[in-house]
Amino acid sequence: MPTKELPEMSEITIIGGGIVGVTIAHELAKRGEEVTVIEKRFIGSGSTFRCGTGIRQQFNDEANVQVMKRSVELWKKYSEEYGFSFEQTGYLFLLYDDDEVEEFRRNIAIQNRFGVPTRLITPEEAKEIVPLLDISEVIAASWNPTDGKADPFHATAKFAIKAEEFGAKLVEYTEVKDFVIENGEIKGLKTNRGTIKTGIVVNATNAWAKLINAMAGISVRIPIEPYKHQAVITQPIRKGAIKPMVISFKYGHAYLTQTSHGGVVGGVGYELGPTYDLNPTYEFMREVSYYFTKIIPALRELLILRTWAGYYAKTPDSNPAIGKIEELSDYYIAAGFSGHGFMMAPAVAEMVADLITKGRTDLPVEWYDPYRFERGELRGEALQMG
Amino acid sequence: MRKLDLTEKDPSKRVTIYFEGQPLEAYEGEKITVALLANGVYWLTTSTEGRKRGAFTFGPVPMVVNGVKNINARKTAVKDGMRLERQGYGDFQENVEIDEDKPVLRYVVDVAVIGAGPAGLGVIKEIGGRLTTAIIEEKGWLGGDLKVKGVEQEGFGDPREALKELTDLPENTRVFLKSVAIGVFDKGEYFLVPIVRGDQLIELLAKRVVLATGAVDNIMLFENNDYPGVFRRSDALEVMNVWGVAPGKKVAVVGAFPEELTAELDRWGIEYVVVPNPKRVEGNEKVERLIDANGNVYEVDAVIVSDGRRPDINPVTQAGGKLYFKRGYYRPVLDSSHRIREGIYVAGSAVSIKPHYANYLEGRLVGAYILREFGFEAEPCVYEERLKNYEPIAVPVHRLPLDEFNGEDVQICGCDVTLRKVDDVVKSGITDLQIIKRLTHLAMGFCQGRFCLFNGAVVVSQRTGTPMEGLDIPVARPPLKNIRMKVPAGRD
Repeated sequence: MPTKELPEMSEITIIGGGIVGVTIAHELAKRGEEVTVIEKRFIGSGSTFRCGTGIRQQFNDEANVQVMKRSVELWKKYSEEYGFSFEQTGYLFLLYDDDEVEEFRRNIAIQNRFGVPTRLITPEEAKEIVPLLDISEVIAASWNPTDGKADPFHATAKFAIKAEEFGAKLVEYTEVKDFVIENGEIKGLKTNRGTIKTGIVVNATNAWAKLINAMAGISVRIPIEPYKHQAVITQPIRKGAIKPMVISFKYGHAYLTQTSHGGVVGGVGYELGPTYDLNPTYEFMREVSYYFTKIIPALRELLILRTWAGYYAKTPDSNPAIGKIEELSDYYIAAGFSGHGFMMAPAVAEMVADLITKGRTDLPVEWYDPYRFERGELRGEALQMG
Repeated sequence: MRKLDLTEKDPSKRVTIYFEGQPLEAYEGEKITVALLANGVYWLTTSTEGRKRGAFTFGPVPMVVNGVKNINARKTAVKDGMRLERQGYGDFQENVEIDEDKPVLRYVVDVAVIGAGPAGLGVIKEIGGRLTTAIIEEKGWLGGDLKVKGVEQEGFGDPREALKELTDLPENTRVFLKSVAIGVFDKGEYFLVPIVRGDQLIELLAKRVVLATGAVDNIMLFENNDYPGVFRRSDALEVMNVWGVAPGKKVAVVGAFPEELTAELDRWGIEYVVVPNPKRVEGNEKVERLIDANGNVYEVDAVIVSDGRRPDINPVTQAGGKLYFKRGYYRPVLDSSHRIREGIYVAGSAVSIKPHYANYLEGRLVGAYILREFGFEAEPCVYEERLKNYEPIAVPVHRLPLDEFNGEDVQICGCDVTLRKVDDVVKSGITDLQIIKRLTHLAMGFCQGRFCLFNGAVVVSQRTGTPMEGLDIPVARPPLKNIRMKVPAGRD
């Protein structure tokens, strides 16, 4: 992914070279559109770089389930075509009381309606899937074997290479500083490396989305704030010891799994912010250790190698803002993924590309309507992890 | 006397241990790794990729101890009847005993000093009991690198005599040995320095922090540089001067600073050969021969790498410090009071490479600055003047013969990252160390880059022509040293 000169002009310009920006560029370029990505650091350097690997269809509303069903189809297709790893090792939600079971029965019914084969399983079945689990307090588990995990950085790099092959330009170490707007129309973007003439802009900057919206002079209120979430990794252990993503809402909204390298990776719900600070905290290390060792006691004797932090770009209902902003032609936003943007990216790319090229999409994009906040129509909160 | 004993051990402490079923002689208080070395056992563990490894260079040493897997052999003492077995890196204990979590201990002090080498001890000496202090040391002794020296040291003379004087500490100093600080966290009113000692979590609340965290030995790149029988300078000195055990019967000394070893080897009467340009080591289960760049073959049973030291930059960057590059190494950017930021000081070889005595003076200097901050009379300028006599030592940055090595056999990092893997990524045009980390796993393992990041930077610099000072070095994240998850897991 070499740094390229900023082109003089581009039909479509995407601000942000994370997984979302890159997959949108990939989809547009594949359809023959002229597209440029402008990234202030390197491709995949923001939250994508710090992300926890998970890809799941187990959501609690129709729109997200449908979008993630499509997204997993695309993960499967592109991982096979482009040769990066996407393992369908499942997502396992551990449940500890009747209320939780009831809630997950409802979620599973929605998921099944759209063809996601989630089922409620017994604690013993859960332990068969992850023998290291402590199931003494678990009464059931929600299990979908078609969910999975991928390495966010590797996946982004592959999409980037393919996007370039289809003709997209990816410009690294280039920061957008301002918009050139005439009579409500975008004419170009000013960067620290010159100006690019462009008519269509996509804001795919997630945690930084409000800064780009402000530059564009957008008056509609789209509340996206950066929150600090943290993650931990242990020493590598025998591969295949923890295959699926294991979730426990009871124990700190914890999520954990094993990376392809062998380390146990994950995080908890512990959230700080809004903030752009990314220093890992001691309090997180204590929280995550307490909760993880409750779920898998063998982790007690494993070494913690490192902790780090990244952003969740959060909206009030934990759903992103995806769509066209009408007051400025042609300005689109795909940001505010609230901790589950990596998994959504391939489907989001399809939706945004559809909106730009056809003005409509078959996927239920209206659920992510950027105007819903101003209209006071918050969605039921999307199932957020960690 | 065992095969590699240099000194007669106390017979009343004699015990028997079993390695892979074979009974071996050991002595109470010895670390597992040292007891096995004394018996001529070098190969202790196997990396994920199946490489044989010993205990005295980079990489972890997990072993099966009395049937329990994944015990750190470097930090565990022998006991009579102990049964030891080899394991691979990925083996872990699946069934664990859940003991009662120990309550967290909390102490409040004026000054927390991390590291008990000459610099750390100098800080304590200068403060002289006028402030409450704590000193945190990973090793089981006070004195740091000075403790592993056997020969006279400039300014100090006999290292043992010097240490007697330096380790006579005021009563209001809390000493934490065999303890690691996992980071420095700014809490506004004070700094939180969490410490792990065994399974005990200790929270130190300090108004000021001194990083006297020292330097780390450079890892030299040659083929099979991770092999059992390859020693870092510090490990070779430690086994000889602390434990009275030889690294081997006949050893090769490699690297830019062989004289740091040869005087010590002379003192013990160990046969050695100095080889300036190592290319490859070979052997079955351990080093049997060293081959140099000219094809000369040296029959030896150990190789000691004495290629200089560089400041351990991890505590500095974790605590919020910035770096610059000078004299061949990255060093902390300090203000006029030796601080990386308000409240956090740095002293000793964490600042620059110089003799022990100069590091001690720098500790005194920092102690004097701190005394002044607390309103005591002190004269830092006296130490500043004396320190001017010591120009920091330049450490050569080797030009790596990248195209002459079999890069597959050269280990750049203890976690199975080969030089070839890193070099291939760099040659493909990726020169940002953050990306190289992600793609190769360099600096993402047990040492958090302490031993491998510098060499990664050298490869980038050499292949791209970018000067070392122009590279963006990834910062360290807590914990500064690996800790078992059960330790922070405890609830009050």
